[in-house]
Amino acid sequence: MRKALYIAAVTVAVAPALLAGQSWRTVTMSHQIEDNSEIRVFVEYGAGHLKIGAADGGVLYRMNLRYDEDIFEPVSDFSGDRLHLGVESIGRGFNIGRNKQSGELDLEFARGIPMDMDLEFGAVRADIDFGGLALTDLDLSTGASQSTIDISEPNSVGMSTARFEIGAAEFEARHLGNLNAERIEVDAGVGQVTLWLNGRWQRDASVSIDMGLGALELRVPEGLGLRLRKEGFLVSLDSEGLVKRGDWYYSLDYEDADRKVTVDLDAAFGSVKVVWVR
Amino acid sequence: MFKFLLRSSLTTLGLALLAATSTLEAQLRDVVSKEVAVGRSEAALRLEFSDDGALEIAFEDGLVVIDGDVVGMFEPGDQLEAAWRSLLGQAVSLDDGELAIMLSDWSVPADLANDLADLAREVDRALEDALSSFEITVSSNSSRAPVTVAGDPGSLLSLFLNATGELGLLGEALAGLRGEFAIHIDEDVVVPAGSTVDGTLVVIQGDARIEGEVDGDVIVVDGTLELLEGSRVRGEVRLADARLVRNLGTVEDGLVDLLEEERVNESEIRSKIREEVQAELRAQLRREIRDMTRLEFSDADNGFSLMAPFRSVFRGVGELVKNLISILVLGLLGAGAVAFAGTNVDTIADTARRSPGRSAMVGMAGTLLLIPVWLLGAVALTVSVIGIPVALVWLPLFPLAACAAGVMGYVVVARNTGEWLADSEYPWTGWIRKSNPIYTIFGGLFGLMLAFMAANVLSITPFLGFLTGLLAFAGSVVTFFAIQIGFGAVLLTRAGRRNEWASTYDPDAAWERAMDVDVEVDVDETADKVDEDSDDA
Repeated sequence: MRKALYIAAVTVAVAPALLAGQSWRTVTMSHQIEDNSEIRVFVEYGAGHLKIGAADGGVLYRMNLRYDEDIFEPVSDFSGDRLHLGVESIGRGFNIGRNKQSGELDLEFARGIPMDMDLEFGAVRADIDFGGLALTDLDLSTGASQSTIDISEPNSVGMSTARFEIGAAEFEARHLGNLNAERIEVDAGVGQVTLWLNGRWQRDASVSIDMGLGALELRVPEGLGLRLRKEGFLVSLDSEGLVKRGDWYYSLDYEDADRKVTVDLDAAFGSVKVVWVR
Repeated sequence: MFKFLLRSSLTTLGLALLAATSTLEAQLRDVVSKEVAVGRSEAALRLEFSDDGALEIAFEDGLVVIDGDVVGMFEPGDQLEAAWRSLLGQAVSLDDGELAIMLSDWSVPADLANDLADLAREVDRALEDALSSFEITVSSNSSRAPVTVAGDPGSLLSLFLNATGELGLLGEALAGLRGEFAIHIDEDVVVPAGSTVDGTLVVIQGDARIEGEVDGDVIVVDGTLELLEGSRVRGEVRLADARLVRNLGTVEDGLVDLLEEERVNESEIRSKIREEVQAELRAQLRREIRDMTRLEFSDADNGFSLMAPFRSVFRGVGELVKNLISILVLGLLGAGAVAFAGTNVDTIADTARRSPGRSAMVGMAGTLLLIPVWLLGAVALTVSVIGIPVALVWLPLFPLAACAAGVMGYVVVARNTGEWLADSEYPWTGWIRKSNPIYTIFGGLFGLMLAFMAANVLSITPFLGFLTGLLAFAGSVVTFFAIQIGFGAVLLTRAGRRNEWASTYDPDAAWERAMDVDVEVDVDETADKVDEDSDDA
């Protein structure tokens, strides 16, 4: 959470630089698949609109970037098994009045190539679909952003932990079951978080949620065994469809469910709502 | 060095060429990485190939740059740049094979003017050279037999020679050649009178003697060329590290000495390096002089210095000048505030005068709460996406507003101090005219900063360090309370817009102060007296 808040603070500090007459530059990069076994991907993006998806053809990655060249410079470094993409500030402008248009980063990654994905965003509107990618690890940090994450197709390789660090944001993650992760960690600072626990759970999993201030909505498909524990100071829980036993809330068919998900929630202020979906 | 590399490279090439049957098959290289960058003043293409080669062509700030070398100039927006940007537009959506085909198929637009067409040909050639690869199979029964290659040996040799790095000259000599070629390596060539060589004649590490005709270019690398009387070269003669020993024939497209061009370029580069070194030396000298000057005044210099006895004087006078500049700046700000928001200044000043304790408490509380309020406001605004733009304004403007309030409060307290000094009998305060707020503000600023100025004057003299420190401390305390009282008054009055903490105007009190008399009278009694006077009349 500290990291996410740091990113949020940096974002807010840098964001005024976006406000003035920009000189836009467009960069398109792509790299063909060679003998890549597994790659470690690091994406950093400060502000703008971000899209991530799966690439078709023999492309390892494809990046379409539109950015203000007075403030940022593109980063594309692929050496060994490390791929670093995004933009970096060149520290030339703190120009209030910019941002008549925002930058864009459109990324596509190869299907089937195992990837350890580390994403860091600032003030970003993100539309991400990890569907079709082979993720061995996922670390996602956002600042003040509006992010929608989807895993529209099951992850073909499993991962032990997927981590989401959210600063001050509106965050929605869909088909988390398709991540094929043993453990999902969500560390949210301030904002509204919606987690869809649908998708194809290939194993029992645990979800750890640490929230500062905000609203959390858990959208749970019927038939999934849900066990939830809540700790916090001033947190309201709308526990419709859950039965409390000891410290834990259980879904009605928890014992009979094929797949079970344990949610451990720690929040300071806010509300938690569990919504059952078909 | 050049000759050694040339010789060894050519030996390798010769061995390769002589090793197998002579077939040359062109195909496109695999493009593993593509980068297309388009900006206001730049349109660039960068390719990386599977064999670790790379190509970078950039149209940037009016220059055409190929692999780091400037090959020509263009006018932004001209036909060549438009054609190049159009090509990049197509390249964006293509990868690998399709991309290579599209780029190698690109041809010089027909409607380009001469200079631009030449430049476009250069770009086209660079694309083709980079994208083409050759599979060579050469066979020969004689190790001395001439090798004739059909196709594009310029590309072939460029590929080979560029791998060695230092043989760009030979690559340059062979650049851009088309059609049929006869390449003679390490042998002398004679074109007898009455005979004609079709296509280009290339002689490497050998001497060429032309008595007849060459229906193309003649290229001699590391050798000599003789053009005898009656000989004719229908193309161009290029000499790379070669000499023209006799020139009695006709060369239709002229003669190019590549080494001479290299020498010219070398001279230009040397001149540039000389200029850069001179500039660097000048900058270094300036830095050293500046550092020396700084050291003269620096405490860190513990060695002998002629300026040492005067350091305290310079420092004290410098600080005093800083005080005076501060007074001037603050006074001007105060004058501006009086001019544009006189009523607000009056209200704040009255509040600070009437309720200094309350103002000071509010000021201190406000100071303590400044950072928490700022942070909480930022967090509250960033909770919602809509609030983020407001937060962007809040973050810089809130501290600015707080600073402005502090300065305004200090200036107002200075004005009150100035009025008090005007009423006082202290010496040197007679110039402060109480009726003029500009005078009172400047007078008050002098009063509030008196301790600092005295400390700075005393710091010039030796042995009074304790007293100097005491005065500086007193000045700090005065400044702290002045700012707190002023800031509190600004907060209490909402920047002078609420006057409930200030006094209401009392005309009687004003007359008393002005005339030094008691004007309190019974209204009824006065009215009766007025009636009596009128009756008497």
